[in-house]
This record gives sequence, structure tokens and C-alpha cells, in this order.
Amino acid sequence: MMDAIEAEKMSDTDLVMLSLENQANFLYLVDRYKGKLLSYIRRLTNISDDDAEDILQEVFIKVYLNLNGFDPDLKFSSWIYRITHNQVISSHRKLKARPEGYAVNIEDKAALSLAADIDIEAGADLQILKQKISQILAGLDQKYRDILVLKFLEEKNYQEISDIIRKPAGTVASMINKAKKEFKKEMAKQKIII
Amino acid sequence: MDKQEFDKKLVDKIKDEHLAPKPRWHFLLKDYVIMASGTLALLIGAATVSVMIYLLKYNGWELREETHKSILEFFLLTLPYFWIIFSGLFIFILYYNLKHTKRGYRYPVWVIALSGFVASIFLGGIFYLFGLGQKIDNVLGERAPLYETVMNRQLSFWFNPGEGRLAGIINSEVQAGNFYLVDPTGSLWLVMGQASADARGNDFVQEGVPVSLIGETLSGNLFRADFIRPLIPGSGYLNGPKMKTNRGRCSEEACPRKRLNLLPGGIGSGTIIIEEIK
Repeated sequence: MMDAIEAEKMSDTDLVMLSLENQANFLYLVDRYKGKLLSYIRRLTNISDDDAEDILQEVFIKVYLNLNGFDPDLKFSSWIYRITHNQVISSHRKLKARPEGYAVNIEDKAALSLAADIDIEAGADLQILKQKISQILAGLDQKYRDILVLKFLEEKNYQEISDIIRKPAGTVASMINKAKKEFKKEMAKQKIII
Repeated sequence: MDKQEFDKKLVDKIKDEHLAPKPRWHFLLKDYVIMASGTLALLIGAATVSVMIYLLKYNGWELREETHKSILEFFLLTLPYFWIIFSGLFIFILYYNLKHTKRGYRYPVWVIALSGFVASIFLGGIFYLFGLGQKIDNVLGERAPLYETVMNRQLSFWFNPGEGRLAGIINSEVQAGNFYLVDPTGSLWLVMGQASADARGNDFVQEGVPVSLIGETLSGNLFRADFIRPLIPGSGYLNGPKMKTNRGRCSEEACPRKRLNLLPGGIGSGTIIIEEIK
């Protein structure tokens, strides 16, 4: 087994190959994606932290079992996000939502990017902007929220989103446009002024 | 989330449940099954298309004004619906397989559907050029049940003496355009076809050839043919085992006597023949 510094320099695909040779190497992939995926799961659904961790564990188990099915022509991150996305959808119905509702962790850059793309002028207070975006996202249909999360919060490009949700890039583009319109409608509905 | 604790839980679960990556062949097999069933669907769909082209080519276009009131009626009544549905089914299976290939999701539905359709039509055209459509029609005509009512409705369309259409296989020598014909039910007809045969020089009118006729039933099983055309799709049926039995029975029993009726009176003298047949 190699050390952590060595693993850090390696590509995802190399780590997949090494994980197939030695199970212990799989933990380097786990470490690389654990934080990102947990954050993604929390952005997609309003479940408890424990439930989110359970989903994450299921994701890594599925990834491990299907390592031989990974297609190196595809980005590993797209593949693991796809598995996560599907796992969230299949687990979501079984799990109870948190009573306090949906609160998304949004980075400053993502909030500004979303605001700019939706053509709304952000005020001076970034915290308020993030809070309001989170509130609007919570009011959206799951399908619109999913696509906006991938595009703006996870900062995936069209091709990556296409590979994650298994839809053509053209369809992804129209879904994003539609989701942005829905975001604006929701903003008006909730009488939120940004 | 405690990083160490999460990793430990994950490793413990993998170890406790003896989990291991599924073997590579498992995924390859899945891909091969999709590819193989897609290829099979393409080949069957294309073969179906070749039969469709064959049936459409010999649909009786040249006599449509005599057989139908309008082009639209002709078109709607003579389309090979069975084969259209059958090829549609296989084009759909091909589409489904293409959609489920590794990269299938990247293409819009219409691109995949159109590719499957174009590939089936193109390959079907090639198959047709190599005679596959005819071969399939002949084999089905010989062996398939419901061939004449479902797979090739031209046969039942052309066998309707009450409406002036007759089909069957020429079962005698042809003299001055007149001949005996055994229809698909095994009945024997005397056909007076001299006008058509003489004027048009239809040298295909020979013993053993399946034909379809337009004309009029004069009386009983006497038919005056105004137009004669070779019955190409359906010839497998008319040359098949069932018809062979009918034709065989015909030549051994009743037909020889009737055939004699043709000869002494002179083939051109229709009146005499009618009396003798009666």
C-alpha cells in the first residue's frame, strides 16, 4: 500500500486500478470524495446528518462493488456523482425529512455565480444572499433543485451533468434554463427581494 | 462526521460482509448482451424491411386503376401492415438497445430513433437486393400458418372471383391464352385469357406459374381474364405443399377429364367450352 502523499498525486483512474489490486487503496478514493459527496447529498435532500452518512456509506459500497464497471473514458467524479445521485433518489423516500426544513450549504462563489446567472443583483450582504437562495431552492421541485445544485453549487459543466443524470447535454441545457425560470418564479412567489 | 470513524465503519462493513468488486466479465457480459441483442434486432428488423419492400414493389401498382377507386384507397388497402408493425417492433428494440449502451444517454431520443430507423431501412434495402425479401416470403408462404390472411394479404385480395379478381397457379398447357388454373382453395378454373395474352405478349403465362387476374366470372368456374399478371409475392404459398396436394389431386382425378374439354373444341371458341364445362 502506498502512502497518502503518493496517493494525492495520483489520478482517480489510477486509484481505481490500485484499489482493485489492494482493497486498502480504496480508502484514498474515499478520502478524496467523502467531503464533496456528503455536501452534495445534503444539498440534494433535507435528511439528518446520520442519514446522510448512511447514504454516503452505501454510495462507497456501491462504488467498491462496481469498480470493474468504471469506464475510464468517463470522468470518475461524474461516475461517483451519478451513483450518489441515484442513491439519494432511492433512499429519499424511505427516510424522514428534518422538521426544520431544507438548509443548503452554499459557498460564496456559488451564491454569486447563481445570482449573476439568474440576472439578479446581489445586495451587499453575502450571508443574506446565501440564506435567501437556500430558501428559494427549498421551495423548488426536486428536479429543478437537483439541476441547479449540480450546475451552480457543485460547479459541474454540461457534459458532466449529462453524465451524472444520464441525459443528453441539450436536454441538460434546457433543464437548467427551465430551472432558472422556476427559481425566479419561486422568488416572486415567496416575495423574496435580493 | 468523524473521518476515522467513517473509514473504519466502511472497512468493517466490507470485511464483515465479505464484499469484493464484481468481476470484470460481469460488466462486459452486460455490454455484450446489449450489443448482441441490438445487432440481432437490427438484422431481424432489416430482414422484415426487405420483405416489406418486396411486397410493396409487387403490390399491383400497374393495375391500381382497375382494382381500386383511388390511389389513397389503393395505398391504404394494400400496405403490408403486418410487416410494418413487425419491423416497427424490431426498430423499437434496436432503439432500446442503442439507448442502453454505455453512451446511449448522450444522444437525444430522436437521433437514436432516426439512426435505428435509417440503419434498418438501409440494411433492409441491401437485403432486398440480395433477394432475402423474396426468400423469406417464399419460405413463409410454404410453411407459415395464416400466411395468406395475415402476412400477405395480397393473396386474399386477389382471390375474390365475385369482384372480378382471381389468383392461382396455371395448371395446364396454355393454348391461345386459355388455361386451367387452380385457386388457393384447390378449385379448378377455366380461364379465357386470350385477349390479354395475345395482345400483350405475356410470355410468363405458362404452366406452373402463379398468376393473378382481373376480369369477370362468366359462369361457374369459368373466368374471362382481361388482365393477367404474375403473382410474385405469394408464389411460395402457391407452390407450397398444400397447393401441391391440391394440384396433384386435380391432375389425378377430375382435371384430366376437364382438360380434354379444352382440346377438341379449339381453345378460341369460348361458347363451346362453356357448354362442355357445364
